[in-house]
Amino acid sequence: MFDNIINGFSQILAVGPILGIILGVVIGITFGAIPGISAIMAIAIILPMTFYVDPIIGITMLLAVYKSGIYGGSISAILINTPGAAASFLTAQDGHALTKAGKAGKALDMSLFASITGEMLATLVLILVAAPFSLISLQAGPIEKVFLLLFAFTVIGTMAGESIPRGLLSCCLGMLFAMVGMSSITGASRFTFGYTELMGGFTFTPMLIGILVMPEVFNVIRRRRTPHHEMMITHSPNPADNRISFKEFRSVFGTILKSSGIGTFVGALPGLGSSTAAFIAYSEAKRTSKKPDEYGKGSVEGIAAAESANNAVCGSSLIPMLTLSIPGDDVAALLMGAFLIHGLTPGPMIFFEHTETIYAIFAGFLLTDLFLLGIARAGFKFFVKMASLRRYYIFPCVTVFAFAGAFTAGQNMNDILILILFTIMGYGMRLVGLNPAVFIIGFILTPFLEQNLDQAVAIVGTEYHLFFASPFSWVFIALSAFFVISSMRMRRKAKAATLITLAKRKAA
Amino acid sequence: MDRRKIDVALSTLLIILSVIILTNDNLVEGGAESDLSSMFLPRVVASLIIIFAATIAIQSLKTLSQGAQPEGSEVIITNGFSGIFVYIGIFIAYWLAVPYIGFLVATPFVMIAVAILLGGRNWVPIVATSIVTPLLIYYGSREFLRVFLPTWSL
Repeated sequence: MFDNIINGFSQILAVGPILGIILGVVIGITFGAIPGISAIMAIAIILPMTFYVDPIIGITMLLAVYKSGIYGGSISAILINTPGAAASFLTAQDGHALTKAGKAGKALDMSLFASITGEMLATLVLILVAAPFSLISLQAGPIEKVFLLLFAFTVIGTMAGESIPRGLLSCCLGMLFAMVGMSSITGASRFTFGYTELMGGFTFTPMLIGILVMPEVFNVIRRRRTPHHEMMITHSPNPADNRISFKEFRSVFGTILKSSGIGTFVGALPGLGSSTAAFIAYSEAKRTSKKPDEYGKGSVEGIAAAESANNAVCGSSLIPMLTLSIPGDDVAALLMGAFLIHGLTPGPMIFFEHTETIYAIFAGFLLTDLFLLGIARAGFKFFVKMASLRRYYIFPCVTVFAFAGAFTAGQNMNDILILILFTIMGYGMRLVGLNPAVFIIGFILTPFLEQNLDQAVAIVGTEYHLFFASPFSWVFIALSAFFVISSMRMRRKAKAATLITLAKRKAA
Repeated sequence: MDRRKIDVALSTLLIILSVIILTNDNLVEGGAESDLSSMFLPRVVASLIIIFAATIAIQSLKTLSQGAQPEGSEVIITNGFSGIFVYIGIFIAYWLAVPYIGFLVATPFVMIAVAILLGGRNWVPIVATSIVTPLLIYYGSREFLRVFLPTWSL
């Protein structure tokens, strides 16, 4: 493995990949910092531009956008109390309180250092865990893979949706849309209604941009009358308030390590995502803190906990994708699509079929942290200025990039129609509480399910009990049941807590 | 807007579509023999859709029949929807116009229209951005990506 990592570094230390990382970091921080634009939106818009470059450059650039975009979300959270990403909600509480106290520099520094430490630790875990874990998952045959995929659908559907039926319905709709076009197994055309244009199914990129990106533009248009908030870094006359000293960083290093561990673990589980990681790590840090009263009122430790955890998810969310072909969250689903477009099929075989490429991507992932540190430190003012641009400069450009991106995929105007239809559908899904990210995961994983199911049926023939002969089958059934039940209990508890709060407010 | 009513209507529609998938054999054409029929997985998914859609519809119907007021996520706030319809109109016009007048001609108008919709009134920077951005995308796509965006064909 060590040789592979060294080899990976030798591949990534070239002009093309380095420029890709720098561009990715700049785009990621800028997009992440703009309220209303998230990392996932940035990746979806940039994705078509990477089709025509080497996978090492393209994928590394997308991963740089991802990492920097998650960090960028904390800039607007700290400066104007508007999280650029949902995971930065807790950072906004403590960070903005520090900004109001004239300590924006301290909050931004803490956020950057914690983000990078969390990301680096999670990336190291990814590198050390992914390849050995893939050796175990290689032992899985089609039957085990079917149960594994069913487990993934269940977990993602139950954990990520607004309610369990809505999450699972989102997943089923994604699965149904994935079955439009020619069946990869029988060659039959399904749900095409005589339209030859539908034989190839729905083009992935326009659908992705439509479902995940454009509804955010709709949201901005709806809020177009709300006043624009100018971002500004407040400076304190006391230099110590404008930066983090080594002593301060050392005092929260334990919290960063613990939160990074929580973020890495949560990220490796499908369906939970960076917001959950940030909330768990923040609660744990508050519980064990010597100054729990400061949390929510400008705690540097609070920023460290939330940021290190939500950034640690970046690296570890790739573990299930690279070892089991299961994207853990919406960004991982998008990245899985990018891997597939670049001819790399995520899964255990990737470590054997594309060893050089995957280790070069890992090296790039590590290197991104260093570039993120340097670029973010050097360009705080630039990013704040870019993120302060008025929405009528940003969103016309987003519209045109989305159009060009959708067209680039197949150089076909029909793809623009797909973009428009899925934009409306994506927004409609949000309105009725269906989860677009779960829809995309259902869409991506269904061909794998169908292929493995076909092979599994061929293996068992008419002896269907053989489906349950492997212990893996029972393990995944038990895990699925466990996740459904625990999700139901969690939701019931949350609902009861809300009802109690409402009753208390009414009584008051 | 009461989301529960939309839930009931949407669930009914999904159930009808799923029943069609379950009962209609004409939705699939051709294909080779296989252990797994081409319609096996679509029908399993359609059955699951019926179950989940029915669950959502029943939950919504229950609260509607109790006469309970919609709370939290059950209320869809429709403020600003007119802007969305205008935006969709702009995008459809863009899609229809580009094959004829080309990307470079259509895009500045679309960018200006979206900027106006978002309340932009600083004409000089808006017009400048609307001209420079499509030029960069057009020549960037052509030179670096080898993607040829549509040109004037009238």
